[in-house]
Amino acid sequence: MASGKNSKQARRNASAARAAAAIKKPKPWGLVAALVAIVVFAGGVFGFVYFQQADKQAKLDALAPFTPSQSNQDPSKQIKGVVFKDYKPQSHVSPADRVAYDQSPAFGGPHDGYWAACMGNVYERPVRTENMVHSLEHGAVWIAYHPDKVKDDDLDALKKRVVNQQFIMMSPYPTLDSAVSLQSWGRQLKVDSADDERIDQFIHALRRNQYTYPELNASCDALGPGAFDPDNPPPFDATPPGPDAKPMNYEPPAPPPSGQPGQPQPQPQPGSGG
Amino acid sequence: MADQDAAAEIGSDQPPAETSTAMRVLVISVAVLAVLLLGAAGGLLLGLPGGRGAPASNSVDVGFAQDMSVHHRQAVQMAGWARDHSTDQAVRQIAFDIETSQLGQVGRMEGWLGLWDKPELPASGKYMKWMTGPEAVAHGHGATNPADPGVDVMPGMYTQQEWQRLRSLSGRELDVAFLQLMLRHHQGGTQMMEYAAKYATNPQVKNLAQSMLLSQGKETQTLRTLLTARGGQPLPPPS
Repeated sequence: MASGKNSKQARRNASAARAAAAIKKPKPWGLVAALVAIVVFAGGVFGFVYFQQADKQAKLDALAPFTPSQSNQDPSKQIKGVVFKDYKPQSHVSPADRVAYDQSPAFGGPHDGYWAACMGNVYERPVRTENMVHSLEHGAVWIAYHPDKVKDDDLDALKKRVVNQQFIMMSPYPTLDSAVSLQSWGRQLKVDSADDERIDQFIHALRRNQYTYPELNASCDALGPGAFDPDNPPPFDATPPGPDAKPMNYEPPAPPPSGQPGQPQPQPQPGSGG
Repeated sequence: MADQDAAAEIGSDQPPAETSTAMRVLVISVAVLAVLLLGAAGGLLLGLPGGRGAPASNSVDVGFAQDMSVHHRQAVQMAGWARDHSTDQAVRQIAFDIETSQLGQVGRMEGWLGLWDKPELPASGKYMKWMTGPEAVAHGHGATNPADPGVDVMPGMYTQQEWQRLRSLSGRELDVAFLQLMLRHHQGGTQMMEYAAKYATNPQVKNLAQSMLLSQGKETQTLRTLLTARGGQPLPPPS
């Protein structure tokens, strides 16, 4: 067949060409050049993107280990000196009550129903602890400082971490046994200096950390006079709590029992209103 | 068979010389390197904003969700105050609208941040670090200074002093101060919304930013009308 003859001829020609090539094989410069181009391109893309990303991340690297995430839910565990306590949330006392706190400053336990405003509030005077503790339950960090030990530049350095920020507040605490004490719900860190690098680590790890504060997305706003007034907050009370103070295991009284199902509620008597 | 013939003919070729072996090793090595690098570059690109999965920490999507939550939350604080303390029904109504819608949007954005495994608040206390484009630079905001990107205060935010003053007022004075500060607050948020509407890669983020622009644009007009009707003048707009 003609086609079979042609293909046999073609194979013979190809075979001859290969034999010639084997004798003097040309270097595959085209292939080498193409591959080098790919390496340069891929290497360039990789290098550019990698170093650009690395550069952007570099600034945050110092705080990176203290960023809360699914795999690092409580980064404050890596901060030396943090004290942990388990507190039951949602136990509210009235504005006239005191709580016999087990820590000073307290960082959990029963608290006033009105939380202290924690939208970057800098309180110039010591504030009632029962209100401050409620803010911790809402995800705020409370910076307490000793008014005699932290002044001038040190005080400004602390304020800078609060002003224009949210879920953070600071107040003097006259009976503090260190220069600065940081509180988050169930966590506390006391440091001797306002320069301590652990201050930023603590704030970064715990401020509004969804894994560590009890009442997710709760507010730091205040209702004002008659509730919690940030311009005239209830003052800190340095005296011992006394026998009437609510204990740490205080449970608010249950609401008065409503009528049994099926029983009619008492109806107001006609004409008795007034 | 013809194929076997061909194979036999190829097999009869002479073995390659030593220089050819070196060349083959070189070509194979470069090829392997090329494949590895292509894979690495591809993997890196997938991990960038625009790739699938959670956006990066420094992406527009994450930055917008974090910073706009802070911006919104301040509006919510002031709107709640006006709703509680104004006696003007029209002011209370727009305050209630702003309070509830912006609080809902904060919840939406914080929900995303949770799903993306990102913190709710921007790191190191600086805002607008994610705005690196020419628009942000022209405004003097965003990552203008590469050594220390971001700003301490976002445009339109009221100061503690302004907030304190507002809380000391009542009646017509309170209404005017609220409308002034809220108008400026709305104006100040526009830049971030426009930037996110343009550069966010997640369609949900883009959509929310666009929706904010639309509703706040209309609300800004209403605030201005209410302010003028109460004898107030708008504050200088934020830069």
